[in-house]
Amino acid sequence: MAEKEKKYDRQLRLWGDHGQRDLENASVCLINVTATGTETLKNLILPGIGSFTIVDGGRISGQDAGNNFFLDPEKIGEYKSKVAMELLQELNPDVKGEYVEEDVSQLLERTPQFFTGFSVVISGSLTLTVLKKLAALLWPHKVPLVVCLSYGFLGYIRIAVEEHAVIESHPDNAHEDLRLDDPIEDFVKFCDSIDLESLDKKDHSHTPYLIILFKYLQTWKNDHNGQVPNTWKEKKQFKAAILAGVRKNAEGVPEDEENYDEAAKHVNTAFVPNKIPPELKAILDDHKCLNITDSSSNFWILANGLRQFVQNEGCGFLPLRGSLPDMTSDSERYVKLQNIYQAKAAHDMQIVSNYVSQACSSLGCGNGRVSERDLKRFCRNAHFLRVLRTRSLEEEYKQPSKAVIDEFTSDSNSDALWYVLWRAVEMFYTTHGKYPGIEDEELEMDVSRMKSFVKDLMKSWGIPGAIEAVSDDSLQEICRCGAAEIHSVAAYMGGVAAQECIKLITGQYVPVSGAYIYNGLKSTSLTLAV
Amino acid sequence: MANLCMLPEMKKSVSDSKVFVVGAGGIGCELLKNLVLSGFRNIKVIDLDTIDVSNLNRQFLFQKRHVGFSKATVAKESVLCLCPTANITAIHDSIFNPEYNMQYFKQFDLVMNALDNRSARNHVNRMCLAANVPLIESGSAGYLGQVTAIKRGVTECYECRPAPRQKSFPGCTIRNTPSEPIHCIVWAKYLFNQLFGEEDADQDVSPDTADPEANESGDNSKVKHQHAQVDAERKSTREWAKENEYNPSKIFNKLFAHDIRYLLSMDKLWTKRKPPTPVDWSEVESNSQTSVSEKDIQSVLSLEENAMLFSESIQNLKQKLENEDEDGILVWDKDDTPALNFAASAANIRAHIFGIETKSIFDVKSMAGNIIPAIATTNAIVAGLIVMQALCILNKQFDKCKSVFVRKCVNPAKKLLVPCCLDPPKPDCYVCAEKPEITIAVNIETFTVAELKDQFLKKHLGMLAPDVEILDGKGTILISSDEEDSGSFDFDRPLADFNIINGSRLRADDFLQNYDIIINLTHETKFENEEIFKVLEQTGVAQQQKSADVSATQDNTTVNNTNNDDDDDICILEENVASPEKKRKLQQSPNHDDHNSKAKRRKVSESQNDSSVLIID
Repeated sequence: MAEKEKKYDRQLRLWGDHGQRDLENASVCLINVTATGTETLKNLILPGIGSFTIVDGGRISGQDAGNNFFLDPEKIGEYKSKVAMELLQELNPDVKGEYVEEDVSQLLERTPQFFTGFSVVISGSLTLTVLKKLAALLWPHKVPLVVCLSYGFLGYIRIAVEEHAVIESHPDNAHEDLRLDDPIEDFVKFCDSIDLESLDKKDHSHTPYLIILFKYLQTWKNDHNGQVPNTWKEKKQFKAAILAGVRKNAEGVPEDEENYDEAAKHVNTAFVPNKIPPELKAILDDHKCLNITDSSSNFWILANGLRQFVQNEGCGFLPLRGSLPDMTSDSERYVKLQNIYQAKAAHDMQIVSNYVSQACSSLGCGNGRVSERDLKRFCRNAHFLRVLRTRSLEEEYKQPSKAVIDEFTSDSNSDALWYVLWRAVEMFYTTHGKYPGIEDEELEMDVSRMKSFVKDLMKSWGIPGAIEAVSDDSLQEICRCGAAEIHSVAAYMGGVAAQECIKLITGQYVPVSGAYIYNGLKSTSLTLAV
Repeated sequence: MANLCMLPEMKKSVSDSKVFVVGAGGIGCELLKNLVLSGFRNIKVIDLDTIDVSNLNRQFLFQKRHVGFSKATVAKESVLCLCPTANITAIHDSIFNPEYNMQYFKQFDLVMNALDNRSARNHVNRMCLAANVPLIESGSAGYLGQVTAIKRGVTECYECRPAPRQKSFPGCTIRNTPSEPIHCIVWAKYLFNQLFGEEDADQDVSPDTADPEANESGDNSKVKHQHAQVDAERKSTREWAKENEYNPSKIFNKLFAHDIRYLLSMDKLWTKRKPPTPVDWSEVESNSQTSVSEKDIQSVLSLEENAMLFSESIQNLKQKLENEDEDGILVWDKDDTPALNFAASAANIRAHIFGIETKSIFDVKSMAGNIIPAIATTNAIVAGLIVMQALCILNKQFDKCKSVFVRKCVNPAKKLLVPCCLDPPKPDCYVCAEKPEITIAVNIETFTVAELKDQFLKKHLGMLAPDVEILDGKGTILISSDEEDSGSFDFDRPLADFNIINGSRLRADDFLQNYDIIINLTHETKFENEEIFKVLEQTGVAQQQKSADVSATQDNTTVNNTNNDDDDDICILEENVASPEKKRKLQQSPNHDDHNSKAKRRKVSESQNDSSVLIID
C-alpha cells in the first residue's frame, strides 16, 4: 500500500479517495494569525489539503506566542505570517505553505484578485469595513468565506457562500430503495416464478425476504382494495400474516426461518412510499435546474437530466439506487435479485446519461464534461442531494433573518443571545476603535455602552422589547473577557471550523447553514441561518 | 492572553495543579498542547505505544521522522519546543504497571484519559476511584466524540453502565459453516496465527468434527473415524507448513480443497445449507505475471487474483518469518501489507467457496483490523471540551461539569453538541458501589479455579492480580496473587474440590486497584453456547453523594468502547453517541421539533446497531 494511503487510511474511510483528491487540490487562505485561525489550518494541513497561504502584516508579541502553538516565543518581533506558516508546514510535508506579510486591507486595495483564486478563505475577526469588503469581493466569485473566531467563552463561525451543492450528503437515516410500491418488471416476473408452497425445506427458508414481502403484499392488496398496509395496526396484522407463513414441522412447531423474521422486521421500513423529498423537489424546480447554460456547473446539468428522467421515463420516481441490503438467502437467488436491481439502476442511469449528453451537445459544451463516475455517484445519491445557500454578509447586516428573530425571541435561553452580543461588540469596535472591557477601569462603563448598542440593534431589528432578554450577566461576561482568545475555546473552534471547510472543499456532508455559535460556559452550541 | 479571562485565583489553581494525561495519541496530542497553552504547568503523560505512519493524519506532535519512537517522549519534546516553560514528564510505559499505584495517583489533582481501549479505561477508572481523584474520560470515532467527568461518590463511574455486548462467533461457524464475510475474515486471521503467529488452541481453522449439528443423529462411526485421522494429521498446522516449506500451492490445496471436501463429508451440515465448492490450485493458477499487490485496494479481486495474492503473501511472510529467531513469530497487524494481503485473500477465497460476498482489501482491513475512522478535527473538538471541563473541576465547580456528546451533524434542534447532566453513581455498580456483591451461576463440579481467575475475575471483572478468600469462617485462601508466578497452585481443579458448594461466598480483592468484591456462587449445570458462567445479580450500596446538585438518574446509556489494541482514539459505539437524547436526560427541555424526530432517530440508531463496527478479538 502506498505511503500516502497508509498515512490517510483512517480518514479515507470517511470521505473516500475522491474526497481526498478534492482535499489535495484545495488551496486555503487564512487571514490574520489568531489561535483559532492556526488551529483551523492545523486541522486542514494534517488531513492533507494542497496548499495554504497566510496573510498577516503583524509581528509577534509575547501575548500572541503565549496563546498560539504555532508562534515561536523565541521569534518575537518577526512576522506572524512567516513564523506560523513555517511551523504549520512542518505538520505535513505534502502540503505547500506560503505567506504574505502585508495587512489584509492593503492587499484588498492593491491586488483584490489575490483572494479570488482560493478554494476557501478563512478569516479571524476583521473590522466591519474590511470584512464587508472582503465578503463582497468573494461572493460573486463563489469562493466560500469562513469567518471564525473565539471571544472569551464564545465561539463563532459564519459561512458565507452563494451556493454549495452536495451530492454525497451521507445521511444517517437512508431507507433502502426497494420499490415494492412500484416493483421492477423483472422482479415481479422473478417473484411469480417462485411458489413458496412447493419449495422444499431448504429453499423455503432461504427465500430472500424481499420476495416474501412482495408475495404477501400482493395478497394483502387483493384483500384491501389495492392499498398497502399503512397504519400501525395494519402493519401489525401484515406482520402476523407473514409469520403465519413459517413452515411447521411434523409436530406443528414452527421451524427456525430467519428469512421470515427478516421479512416481518422490515414491514415498517420496506413500504415507505418512494416519494421525492422536499429538498430534492426544490432542487429540481430551481431556476438553475430549469435553465441550464454552458456556464452551468456539472451539478445543475446533472440535475436537469435527473429532472427530465423523473418527468418522463421515471413517471415521478427517481432512478433506482440499485443496492440491496444483506439478507438471508441462497447465493443463487440473492445474486439474481442483485442483478435485477443493478440492471434496472443501470438502465435508469443510461436514460439520465442520455439527457445529460443531449443537454451538453445542445449547449455546445463537450460530451466528456460529465464523467461516468460522477454520473453514477449522482444517480446513486439522487435522493439525498442538497444545495446550501447562505445569505450574504451584506444582507445579514442590512436586516436580520427570520430565523434569528424567531430563535432569539422565542427562547430566552437560546445561544442566539451570543450572536446578538457579538454584533453589538462589532458596533462597539466600529465606534470606539477597541473592544469592550480591554481596560479594567472602564469595565463598568463598557457594560453600559454595550447595553446601549444592543438596544440600538434591537430597535433596528424592530424588536425593541427584546432587550429584556439580554441579561446584565451576559453583558458583564462579554465585557469581562476583554476580547481574550482562550486556547481551549480556540482549539475547539479550530476543530469545528476545519470540519466545515472540509465539507465545503469535498462537497460531502452538509455544512452549517450560516452561523455556528459555541457557548463554552455551558458546553452548548447552536446553528443559526443568519 | 488566555489568562486575562481567568480570575487570579483560578490562574493560580491551574498553574499549581498537577495533572496526569493517560495516552498520547490523537486526543492526547491535542490535549497536551491545550493544557500547556491554558496555563497548566505540571503535567505527566504516559503512553506505551510507539508512533505509526497511520497516526500522522491527526497526531500533530509527530512527524515522519518520529515513526517507531515513543509517543509520550516525542509528544513531550514537540510541546516543549514551543512552550519551553512547561514541566512535562513523559513516561513510556504501560498504565497497568503496579508502579502506578493508588499512592501514585494521589499526587494528581486531576487525571485525564485519552485512551483507545476499554481495559485501560476500566483500570484508570478504578485507580481514580481508589485515590479519590477526579477523572475526565473521553473518546472519538470518526465524527463522533464524547467527554465526561467522573468523581467518586458524585457521578457514575466508567463502569457503572454495562459493557456493550461483544460480538463473537461460535467456533463451528468459523470452522465449518461460515455465512457472512466476517466469518471468513476471522477464520483468515486465525489461519495467520496458525501458520505464522502465536498458535492458539481456540483459533483452530480445520473442520470441527465435534460440531453438534453434524452429529445430530444416526450413525457417526464413519465420521468419527475420519475425525481421529484428521486430528492426528493436524497436530500442528505450523509443523505441517514447515515440513512443506510453506509451499503456497500445497497450503492452498490443503485449506481450500482437502478441508472443504472433508467438510462436505459431514453431510448433516448441508441439508439446510448450500454446500461449499472446493477449489483446487490447478483451477486458479494463473500464468499472468502482473503483480496483484499493485491493484487498487478498493476493488474486489477475482478468485484467480486472490489466489495469486495468497501465494505472494505466503512467500513474503515466509521470508519475514525466516528473518526472525528460531522460535520467532509474526504478529498480525492490519497496517502490515503482506499480513493484510494474506488475510484478505484467504478470507475471499473461503468466501467464494461458501458462496459469500467477497470484499476489497480496503474493506477487509476495516473489518479485520476493527478500524475506527479518526480525524484531526474531532480530536481537536474533544480535547477542547476536556480542558473546559478541567477548568470547571479545578475551579471547584464540579456541578458545572457535563457529559458532552459531539454529533456527526447538526440535530433537528440545531445543535452539534449535546450536553447531558452527570448521573449519580449506580447503586448496583460492581466497581464503585460500597460493599459490592455479585452473584454468579457456575457448574461447581467443572468450573476450575483457573477459569474463575482468568475468565471471571480478570476478563469479566477487569482485575489485574486478584486474591481470593473463601468466606467459610476459616479464611481459606483460594487464589493468591503472590503464588501465581510460582505456579505452585493447582489451578485446574474445580471449585468443588475446595469444599465450595451452592451458596458459598468468596471475597476477591485486587490490591493495586484497591478494589474488593463479594462473589456469591450458585450451582447450575445448564449453560447456553460456550458460556461457563452467568451473572445473576449485582448489588451494593451507592457511594454517598457529596454534592446535592447532581440530577436524577436515568438508565442505560453506555460509554462504550471497542476492546482492541488499536492505535485509534476511541470509545464510543452504537446508540449512545448516535442519539444520546434517546435515553439521557437533556439539559435543556427538548423543543417540539425534537419530539417529532425522536421516533425517527430511534429507528436510525437501531439500524446503525446492525451495521456497527464488529468486534473481533
